[in-house]
Amino acid sequence: MSLPAHVYQVYIAASPEQVWAAITESEWTRRYFHATSFVAPPRPEKPYRTVTPDGRPAIEGMIDEMEPPAGGSPGRFVQTWHTLYDPDLEQEPPSRVEWTIESAADGLTLVRLVHGNLDQSPLTWENVRNGWVWILDSMKTLLETGHPLPRVRQDESVAEVLNS
Amino acid sequence: MEQGSEVFRALADPTRRALLDTLFSRDGQTLNELCEKFTEMTRFGVMKHLSVLAEADLVVTARQGRTKRHYLNPVPIEQVANRWISKYAARFTAALVALDDQVATAQKEETLRRAEPA
Repeated sequence: MSLPAHVYQVYIAASPEQVWAAITESEWTRRYFHATSFVAPPRPEKPYRTVTPDGRPAIEGMIDEMEPPAGGSPGRFVQTWHTLYDPDLEQEPPSRVEWTIESAADGLTLVRLVHGNLDQSPLTWENVRNGWVWILDSMKTLLETGHPLPRVRQDESVAEVLNS
Repeated sequence: MEQGSEVFRALADPTRRALLDTLFSRDGQTLNELCEKFTEMTRFGVMKHLSVLAEADLVVTARQGRTKRHYLNPVPIEQVANRWISKYAARFTAALVALDDQVATAQKEETLRRAEPA
């Protein structure tokens, strides 16, 4: 039986640019993606690898597409996905992870994640099924609560109301 | 509407929970496939329930050529759960602490850099 893709989406109260940075920059991934980071900044049509804080390999693959969100058009980050953190998962062939980052309203971004090409990777299919839910929620929480700028602005407006 | 209300409304109905169960056991089904499993309902009825689930973001659709497939999106359920379990608070604090640490480290590095004779 063929294995369906995993498809998730989440709305995040942040700009598409902030979400793009959270997905593609190690300073951000380190803070919500099981502390993993890119060995080198990802580049389109180049291989990439992520590692855990102690330097052990986590994921490797190719960046198939890397188009940041710009001028209202959605951002696309497409990577092949070969798991290295588990010897059993490592035996399975690479799958494909597609991120789409789209502005939903002012200050609100829709993130859609499709993890497909999992037909030959039943263990990976099972492993990432709940994993992505946690990652996406964790990213949302970080962007919405850990980023100083929107909170400062919010606090200022509350202070204005209280002082008026 | 309060955030999360759509999720509670969507989950309040047993048929919609059954639809989610069906997608949980096999994700990515078409409307036709779902209708075959809910023969006691009209096609319109299934569509209506799916649209309530989609409004709550619990079901997302993706097109494959001319086929529209439905996928279970558990992210909103995780968010609802995190509202009342300590995990949310822990992560909230962790994010802020991590940020504070980063700021502190950056300031320390900056101080050291300035202290160094040029």
